[in-house]
Amino acid sequence: MVAPALPDGRFRPCATITAVTVKERFGAVERAVGHLTGSGGTSAAAACAVVLLLPVVALCLVGVGLPLVPFAAGVVRPLVAVERRRVEAALAEPVPAPYRAVEGPLRQRVRTVLADPATWRDLAWLVLHGATGLLLALLALGVVVSAVALVPAPAYWWLAPHALEVSGLRVDSWSSAAVAVPLGLAYGAVAWHLPLVAHAQAVVARGLLAPAAGVVLGDRVAELTASRAAALEAHGAELRRIERDLHDGTQARIAAVIMQLGIAESVHDEDPAAAMSLLRKAQDTATGALAELRDVLRGIYPPVLSDRGLAGAVTALAARCPVPCVLEVDGVGRHPAAVEAAAYFVVAEALTNVTKHSRAEHATVGLRTRADTLVITVGDDGRGGADEDAGTGLAGIRRRAEAFDGSVVLVSPPGGPTELRVELPCGS
Amino acid sequence: MRVVIAEDDALLREGLVLLMTTKGIEVVAAVDNATDFLAVVEHDRPDVVVVDVRLPPSFGDEGLRAAVEARRIHPGLPVLVLSAYVEDSYATELLADGSGGVGYLLKERVGRVERFLEALHRVAAGGTAMDPEVISQLLVRRTANSPLDALTAREREVLGLMAEGLSNTTIGDRLAVSDAAVHKHIRNIFTKLDLPHDDNGGHRRVLAVLTYLDG
Repeated sequence: MVAPALPDGRFRPCATITAVTVKERFGAVERAVGHLTGSGGTSAAAACAVVLLLPVVALCLVGVGLPLVPFAAGVVRPLVAVERRRVEAALAEPVPAPYRAVEGPLRQRVRTVLADPATWRDLAWLVLHGATGLLLALLALGVVVSAVALVPAPAYWWLAPHALEVSGLRVDSWSSAAVAVPLGLAYGAVAWHLPLVAHAQAVVARGLLAPAAGVVLGDRVAELTASRAAALEAHGAELRRIERDLHDGTQARIAAVIMQLGIAESVHDEDPAAAMSLLRKAQDTATGALAELRDVLRGIYPPVLSDRGLAGAVTALAARCPVPCVLEVDGVGRHPAAVEAAAYFVVAEALTNVTKHSRAEHATVGLRTRADTLVITVGDDGRGGADEDAGTGLAGIRRRAEAFDGSVVLVSPPGGPTELRVELPCGS
Repeated sequence: MRVVIAEDDALLREGLVLLMTTKGIEVVAAVDNATDFLAVVEHDRPDVVVVDVRLPPSFGDEGLRAAVEARRIHPGLPVLVLSAYVEDSYATELLADGSGGVGYLLKERVGRVERFLEALHRVAAGGTAMDPEVISQLLVRRTANSPLDALTAREREVLGLMAEGLSNTTIGDRLAVSDAAVHKHIRNIFTKLDLPHDDNGGHRRVLAVLTYLDG
């Protein structure tokens, strides 16, 4: 028998029949049976998930179920991930998870999950696999057991106390035993093709579980467009803030200095004492203007960053934190100034949060570069329960990160510990 | 008193030279970069140096590093660092070697000529001159339930002036109170903060107070 051509992957084709290829083929059949039997397990789980999801869908239709959506996704996605791993193993190629990042406040998470095409493809897979996976598993096991039981039937049927019954065939005579052999061979021929069935199952699953064509790129474009818009918005707001600070503060004070000096000059001859007092006032005003200017500059680009670079500046922040703070810096060179400033403000804001809210005894700040991404972690052993929806600090951190197409993950269970992880891409 | 100045801004450099020479202080050299500064210190052995934190070529913290380096080569060399902004960790670095004769002031303090010269003399004599901004940065960091909360407003003021490096007499002058009153405030502060009493106003007292504030 010539092996039918098989596609790539674990159930690889064998062009010619040799002892080796037959042995390989038996191995492929064995793996196919294993794979399809596994399908039975994930299929049962998928069927259960479908049953559990029905009330959620019903609640969503009347509106009240929407907050459950992210949690439902949190249950379904790990299950789907199991199948994704199985498909990867079967096809010997990676099947990437296609999900959009689910983060932010609840409302935003619900929207992300519902808008993600991968959610609906997962759902389609759950229904399809729930309906077919178990059948495929039973088919595979049934075919193999039948072949193994029927082919050698003439050798042992008479050992059975009454009669041997396999796959609907009743073997109770030599003549029926003779029929069992070709029937068993037929089952064997079907079993021989089980790798094809397993492959087909994996290909269909991949079709639903891998990112749909164009979706990844499309999502990326949408993300970048959004982050670019956010960056422009943030930049504009920053410019307006700086303009207002300089206009209302520094500019007004320097105008006052000039005025005070002018008056001092005009009264100097008649009233030197008054002129002197105006000079002192002018000096005080100028000093105040300078102090304000310093604050504005610190908000634009902290001077310590130009002096010391990011690692040095963050070291100073950690040293200044009232909560004892361990700093782990690993291979952080110079990055674009805007990224460094964002990273500095993120650490400063995070440490302020630790100081104000966490009641922590220890904090850690990590700074490392991984594949053109600056990874910032700030952790503490405080009381946890940090809620992004509650405070403005975390929202500010997210705004800064998103302006650079970065990501923010906050893990803060009640009772702690809390870890904030911010990733800022800084590749060119 | 012989002074070396390292300041890259020509206006400020000339202003400092003018100010000091009119007050009878000898400026042996005024340079605009760290390399020349270290060479001049080596050659002229000044009584005190005045250094800008930011100097060319890279306009990072070369000046500060040059000042620390100069003190490493010449232990105890009085150093007054000027900067357009204060960063409390720089103050910590300057004080790290534990010996006196350290100053760290905002540039605009030069405008208060009498106080500036007083600070310069104090540093040259082995004392300390910390900018009030440094002290307030250190104070801002304190969290709730700090023993500092137990201080009265006046005592906090005295603590700040002590941390700046002022002597008891100068503190009395600044606050327009008697020496005895200053002594009483200082005793109260040290008791409340549980620090060893030190009435003489020297560098050790400043260090103790700054170390305390630094947490």
